Amino acid sequence: MNSLAVSVTSYLLLGLLATEPRHGYDLKRAHDQRLPGTKPVPFGQVYATLSRLERDGLVAQVGTERDGGPDRTRFGVTEAGRQRLEEWLNQVEPPAPYVTSALLAKVMVALFVAGVERATDYLIAQRAAHVARLRELTAVKTDPGASLTEIVTADFAIHHLDADLRWLTTTLDRVADLHQEVHQ
Amino acid sequence: MSTSAILQARGVVKSYGPTPALRGVTLAVDEGEILAVTGPSGCGKSTLLHCLSGILRPDAGEVSWCGQRIDSWPEHRRSQLRRGEFGILFQFGQLVAELTAVENVALPLLLSGVRRRAAVTAATTWLERLGVSEVADQRPGEVSGGQQQRIALARALVTEPRVLFADEPTGALDSLAGEQVLTELVRLARQQHTTVVLVTHDASVAAYADREIVLRDGTVDETGLGLHAVPAGRAVHR
Amino acid sequence: MRPGTLLRLALAGTRTDTARVVLTALAAMCAALSILSAATVFAISGWADQYTNALLIEPGLRPGTALALLLLCIPVLALAGQCSRLGAPARDRRLAAIRLAGATPRQVTAVAVTETAVASALGALLGIAVYAGGRALLHRPGPDGRLPLPTDQLPPAAAIGVVLVGLPLLASVAAAVLLRRAAFTPFGVVRRQRTRPPNPWPAALVIPGVGAFVVIEPLARWFQRAEAPMPLWVLSLLLGGGGLLATIGVILGTAWLSHTAGRVLHARGRGPATLLAARRLMADPWTGSRVFAALLACVLVGAGAAGVRAWFTAGFEVEQASNRAWAEAAGETYLDDSDRYAFYYRAFDLINAAVAVAVVIAALGLLVFAVEGIVSRRRAYTAMVATGVPRRTLARALSWQMLAPVVPAIALALVVGLAMPRAMSREARSGRQSGTVCEADDPALCEALDSPYLRTVETPEFVQPVAIPVGQLAVIGGVALAAVTVSLGVSLLFLRSSTDISDLRTT
Repeated sequence: MNSLAVSVTSYLLLGLLATEPRHGYDLKRAHDQRLPGTKPVPFGQVYATLSRLERDGLVAQVGTERDGGPDRTRFGVTEAGRQRLEEWLNQVEPPAPYVTSALLAKVMVALFVAGVERATDYLIAQRAAHVARLRELTAVKTDPGASLTEIVTADFAIHHLDADLRWLTTTLDRVADLHQEVHQ
Repeated sequence: MSTSAILQARGVVKSYGPTPALRGVTLAVDEGEILAVTGPSGCGKSTLLHCLSGILRPDAGEVSWCGQRIDSWPEHRRSQLRRGEFGILFQFGQLVAELTAVENVALPLLLSGVRRRAAVTAATTWLERLGVSEVADQRPGEVSGGQQQRIALARALVTEPRVLFADEPTGALDSLAGEQVLTELVRLARQQHTTVVLVTHDASVAAYADREIVLRDGTVDETGLGLHAVPAGRAVHR
Repeated sequence: MRPGTLLRLALAGTRTDTARVVLTALAAMCAALSILSAATVFAISGWADQYTNALLIEPGLRPGTALALLLLCIPVLALAGQCSRLGAPARDRRLAAIRLAGATPRQVTAVAVTETAVASALGALLGIAVYAGGRALLHRPGPDGRLPLPTDQLPPAAAIGVVLVGLPLLASVAAAVLLRRAAFTPFGVVRRQRTRPPNPWPAALVIPGVGAFVVIEPLARWFQRAEAPMPLWVLSLLLGGGGLLATIGVILGTAWLSHTAGRVLHARGRGPATLLAARRLMADPWTGSRVFAALLACVLVGAGAAGVRAWFTAGFEVEQASNRAWAEAAGETYLDDSDRYAFYYRAFDLINAAVAVAVVIAALGLLVFAVEGIVSRRRAYTAMVATGVPRRTLARALSWQMLAPVVPAIALALVVGLAMPRAMSREARSGRQSGTVCEADDPALCEALDSPYLRTVETPEFVQPVAIPVGQLAVIGGVALAAVTVSLGVSLLFLRSSTDISDLRTT
């Protein structure tokens, strides 16, 4: 498990907890249900993440249910946690080919935590970052002194970023539609 | 508007019959810059290009070039502009099928009254610059798409225009051929200090430009696909 | 396929398709009229005194008149063939799409042929109607009860049958043959190959064509020496065959002429208009030459007729000179019977009129071709205008494209047309006249063969070279050229509407 995947999952779980307090089992189910297409998160990772978030003060236990089974401790997000989430949603991901899952996670969380307007703002900002990066990479590619490996690497990034960009644009359209429906 | 703006549009409106294509576009192009005009299909990009280059007259609004209003010029003056100061590159279909490559490139010079021999010499030079001199005596139908576009680019640049208008120049080409054409375009434009207005729906093509303007549904989208943007066909509700 | 579907598919189409159907119907109507009038003339029997026109009265002249009327079918059919090319690319694409949707080649051919069959059937019916109407309207007996036109005569039923059934049938067969190519390719792909430039050798047919005429006079003399009359079939073969070969030669040579005109234009031309025209001619010398064929045939016939007329004139003058000399030598008064010749001249005038009509029809075909050429290349021309080619230059290019091959072709047709009668004979001879004249007042004194009152009179042979009818040739050439120029001018009117920039499709 690399650190990046972990931190994305952390924010995802934090976001899910921000909507309502849940216990571990419920949290895993919510993650798998609301994020189809991502790998189902193992229980171990859920509990480990929860304990780390608790240690960092981003979540806190809010109650215990005793249902005649294993302890079901419910966790909820703290004020610090909300703030951290807010910061994360405000950040633009540095555009790179391997950052796609972070983009998806951020849009998801924005949608079910912060709402359509925030999602749109994020999408616009991310798109601008992607476009700027595309321009940089194209300049690298068309530089007369560029070697073949530099060109090929730049091309790799360009094609993946282009795909991301298309997705960002389409999602913006969908989200704008949603906004019309919500506000009509 | 910036003082170095060589080409300006102010409130340009254009409709095809009952269908509005442009609903009031205002923009400025600086001298020597490469501007990309992007947006989804049907947003009026090509129409904007046609209005800026003097191919079409807008129904309302102004188009200025070097401070002169060209939207009110008669057809023969605008045609002269398109022959000399403006170079135009389309996605396809702009080369004369019966003429050879070198004759196609020489055509704008011939139209301006240059003698045949001088025109052919200049055309040959441009074909060399674009790396297609080996097909100089072949007809457009006998060469590949990438070569055709490079011949068309040579034709657009042979009169050393101040502005080059390109409408989806690589749309019909595969990515490598398209890359070649775009690289040549940018290189030559920078060399000659030519202003370029590049219309495309492809972000990787727009990435060759210095600046991007997004059109959406006939107007310039200032916020870059913001919520004020309206999905095509629906009215704005605030 | 059900007839309803067939009809629906056949008659679907745009304005151009409708124009094509209308023109086919009109051409069928003209052909029907020509056939019916020829048949009517043919149906007149014996010495028909009820008419004023000698061409109708004399049974010897009537077949010629009927034939001439029938021959008018030819330029009409050529025009119809030209019209069938109207909107052909779009129609071929439509047929290819039908084929792609699962139709067999036979079904596709049936669809296309149905359009032609329906149009020509309508035209034939229209022709019959117009003929009947014309019969009623033009029935104007003069003060002596004689008619100028055979409006009292009905054509034989067989002729009506030929028109009603034969015309649509012929048109359908022709359409089926011409469409063989389109029905086979479901994609309607046009492959752009660099084809070889046309050969000048087919034009060499002119040589045996004119040669046949050269042979006539020595052959006639040979028959004369052998004291056997030259059989009619030999003469007909030489005249008809020679004429046909010469005409075909001229027509086939036009493609080479167009291509060469293009080459010359390319080498000598300076500006963009000549360059565009030259390249277009070199790329496709064949379509244009097909259209010129009818016009050139008319010019050829006209020039030939002018040559024959000149020959007749020389013959008349020589005859008159001989008669005058005889009258003088014999001491008789000369009777000027030159109004006998007027009939022949009237016949020539009629031929000229027929040729003029045919030229107009051919020019119409040229107009159709020119307009179609402009309209079908609309996208290319619009793109050119968008990138700064002025319409003026396009118009000039189109003008060069049409006139550069036509002018030498007309000249060639004039020369060849004139060469044929001139090859036959370049001078008219009157032959010697000799005879005896009675000098005595009492004719009984001259009855004995050795009577001293008899005097032999001889007149020399008069020879008159046949003049080259330069004036007439100039008129024919001028009319043909004028027809071409008018067609060209009218077609250029379509240039502006065809290059409407709002139709620009660049992406």
